Amino acid sequence: MPSDERSEKQAAAQQAVDILHEISTILNCHLDRRTLSICISMIENGVNPEALATVVKELRKEGQEVQMQKLEAARRR
Amino acid sequence: MSHDRSNRISNAIDSLITHLVPGDPQDDEQTAQERHDTCFELVRSIFQRPGSPAVSSDVNHASDLIKRKLIQSNPSQALRFANLYTRLLSLPVLNHKWAILYLLYQLSDSPDPNEPLPLSPPRQPVQRGTTRHAEKESFSKGSTPVPSHEEEAFNDAFAPGGLKKLPPERARSGGSGEYAGTQDGESPTRKDTRDVSLKSTLLADNSIGFEPSETVLLRDLPFTLQGLSSTTLPFAKETVLKLPPTLPSPIISLLHALAEPSLLYRGLGTFVKSPAEGLLGQSLRAAINNELRSYLTLVATLEGQIRRALSSLDESAPRSGIGKAGVTLKRCVVWTREATMGLRLMSLIAEESRSRKGGQLISLIHSFSTSHGDPIVAAFAERLLVHVTRPFYDILRRWIYDGELSDPHREFFVKEQKPSDEDRKDWKTKGLLSVWNSKYEVDDAMVPSIITADFAQKVFLIGKSLNFIRHSCGDSQWVEAYSKTSSKELKHGDTATLDAWIDEAYKTTMRRLMELMSTKFNLFDHLQALKNYILLGQGDFIALLMESLAANLDRPAGAQYRHTLTAQLEHAIRGSNAQYDSPEVLRRLDARMLQLSHGDIGWDCFTLEYKIDAPVDVVVTEWGNRQYLKVFNFLWRIKRVEFALASTWRKCMTGSRGVLQTSEEKVLQTWKSTRGVLAEMIHFVGQLQYYILFEVIESSWTELQKNIRKEDCTLDDLITAHTKYLTSITHKGLLGARRRQYADAMKEAAAQAGAEAAGEDRNSYMIQLGELIRTMLAYRDSVDGLYSWSVSDFTRRQEADAQGLIRNPNAKHVHTPSMGDLGEGGVKSEFPALQERLKQLGSSFRTRLQILLGDLAYQPDVDMRFLGVSMNFNDVYQPVRRKAKPAAGAGGGSAGAGSGGQKEAEKADKVANTSKV
Repeated sequence: MPSDERSEKQAAAQQAVDILHEISTILNCHLDRRTLSICISMIENGVNPEALATVVKELRKEGQEVQMQKLEAARRR
Repeated sequence: MSHDRSNRISNAIDSLITHLVPGDPQDDEQTAQERHDTCFELVRSIFQRPGSPAVSSDVNHASDLIKRKLIQSNPSQALRFANLYTRLLSLPVLNHKWAILYLLYQLSDSPDPNEPLPLSPPRQPVQRGTTRHAEKESFSKGSTPVPSHEEEAFNDAFAPGGLKKLPPERARSGGSGEYAGTQDGESPTRKDTRDVSLKSTLLADNSIGFEPSETVLLRDLPFTLQGLSSTTLPFAKETVLKLPPTLPSPIISLLHALAEPSLLYRGLGTFVKSPAEGLLGQSLRAAINNELRSYLTLVATLEGQIRRALSSLDESAPRSGIGKAGVTLKRCVVWTREATMGLRLMSLIAEESRSRKGGQLISLIHSFSTSHGDPIVAAFAERLLVHVTRPFYDILRRWIYDGELSDPHREFFVKEQKPSDEDRKDWKTKGLLSVWNSKYEVDDAMVPSIITADFAQKVFLIGKSLNFIRHSCGDSQWVEAYSKTSSKELKHGDTATLDAWIDEAYKTTMRRLMELMSTKFNLFDHLQALKNYILLGQGDFIALLMESLAANLDRPAGAQYRHTLTAQLEHAIRGSNAQYDSPEVLRRLDARMLQLSHGDIGWDCFTLEYKIDAPVDVVVTEWGNRQYLKVFNFLWRIKRVEFALASTWRKCMTGSRGVLQTSEEKVLQTWKSTRGVLAEMIHFVGQLQYYILFEVIESSWTELQKNIRKEDCTLDDLITAHTKYLTSITHKGLLGARRRQYADAMKEAAAQAGAEAAGEDRNSYMIQLGELIRTMLAYRDSVDGLYSWSVSDFTRRQEADAQGLIRNPNAKHVHTPSMGDLGEGGVKSEFPALQERLKQLGSSFRTRLQILLGDLAYQPDVDMRFLGVSMNFNDVYQPVRRKAKPAAGAGGGSAGAGSGGQKEAEKADKVANTSKV
């Protein structure tokens, strides 16, 4: 029963994400569910976790910069 | 497949970028695309970086890192994490769980992305491009400078071969500096954590297997700690734990450390179960049992830890992965360390307590709590002490508030006296035994060191007084009321309050006891009465009694009847001021005869008695009564001599005007010297009486009054004061039965007095005075004889005169020689003998008196020396030193008698003449 197996797997994945999300909350990772699931899938695909961590940090920085610019732009206007 | 994978990855990167770097609605499509591309580039470059080797693919390692971090920062979350982790492991879906965890670990405690960057300097939008370019540059080279140090260390640490070299100092300090910025203070511990994890990895790699394995040992450890045998660690004997011989020595030494609490626990377990022989022993066992219970709680916790660790073990890991489970033998040793110290102390106490009981037991534990340098030991002993002393304080409470000794196992420091003791018999013979001082006693060895000796004495007095009030004074109502109102819970620890309560109880009971003594039992009235009647303080009563009894007492002792004596006593009371005394006192006064011996006359046997009954007899003891009687007898004898001498003197004085008139020179001379000696004797008796009554009794009485009227006088003080009073009377009143001891006690001129006393009889003064009194009485008898001779001579002369007058009324002068002729026979027959006897008795009296004066002159006691001075104020007598008596004393004495006697006689004559006029 492929569909059954699939749904089971999905449920398990869902559970895994739940658990990991909880752990990330405990650890103060500030990851939302979506980011987390993206990261999980990347790691499952063989991405080096250390590199990924760096990536996440960098991207966050980038995002903050953008936010700043937006604020500055708003202030200037 | 790989293409597919890279495709998926780039998709994921895309979505990640769009998610994390939200597009700016103001920006146009192109800018957004551009930014997206830059980010994509950046991400790619990071991923493609070569210097990022795979971390050690140990799932436990990542979780271990997280666990350590959480334990340090937030222990409660650690447990939650452990749960989540086990759940995660059980899920079948993910293949790279460790990697995900590692990612989370890396991201942990990262700043919230939704907050604006606090640390980043404000950037000019113009320079954005170049900045980004620079960033790109740095990324392509490696990474941001700070993470690179971190990375190096990690790279080293997680290289498959372990840490090859120490992380460079620069990296270490740089790393910690970096962390200090964001989460101050935690960085060093974090570094330590890393070290520990490194070590554990190292250990895990380098461990050697042994049999039975640590897991098995750990499984059996809780049983061993509870003193139960297990397959690997059986107890061979009560005090022997058998260790498996196959273990390497480090493990053996660990097990040695763990065996100590096990064996101690076993020993203490048997001690607690052993029957105790006292309340304190029982409470000690209970307290130890309590401590053992908390030890068991510890063991139970330990067991829980061990079980959990064992269940999460990974069998495949080296050393079964025990290093990461968190529970090892070493850790168990550390956890049981403090408990082991407690057990050690308790077993020491248990061992020592076998030979001790009661107060000694408390002292033992107290010595640990006060004089042990280790604060842990002191605190532990203090805690133990609170429980152990409870029965002791219960006994104490009963004792100081109820006056009852409820101490079935003889553990209190107050105990009932055993009548079998040698001292006690000795006391009994001395008459010192009374309910007050021989019912209870303090056992110094049992006084626990938590209270001082002073305090113990106070406690002892309180209880004794209460007991006395209840049982001897018949005032149990007051005691009950008192215990109801003031009974308080006594506990160890608050010494100041305890002291205050004891003081209060002490004051209350003492006040009550003294009140009872003075009002209900009229103690002071009795003392006054004893002084008035037994010590002859009431002059008119004694004079009347003596007068009315004199005729009776001259008869032999066998002819004395009690009813006549009591009748005369009654008469004396009625006839004197004694009648105004309270009936309570008069009721106790009694006259009776002492044990007769052959040839005694009434004077020797008569005695007055003052009956004392309980509870006053604790003050006026049997011994005291005997002392009173002794003093009375002595005074009575002196009084009797005085009385006899006075009556004889009176007879002489009245006679000298009538019957004693004679013309014979010889007879007149004899009478004259006789009167002189009589006056000497009267002077002596008068001085002696004055001395005893005023110098001795009255001054001692004043002293006694002063002592017993004190504000905080206790019954003990009273007894002591009274005993001192009696001792000083008996000693100074020349009765010194214990003269030598007294002299020693005086400690003044001890050598001299001691040397002197050594040569004397114990009762020397008593004997000397007895001799003097006997001499005086004999002298009086002789004077009486002389008197009757003179009377008969006078009668004869009268008769002769009458006959001559009848025969020859005119020739009166003729008859004078005839009287001499007639009387010749009478004078010849009796007069010289009488004269001789009087002379002899007079000189013997003088000799004895001089010896007495000699003794008195060298007395250490001032009052007694004073007596000598007042008797010999005009230096009539020459005091004779006793030591010189054999040779010079006799000569000097006789010479003194020769020269001094004349003078004294003349003086006495003068006194007699003046008194006559």
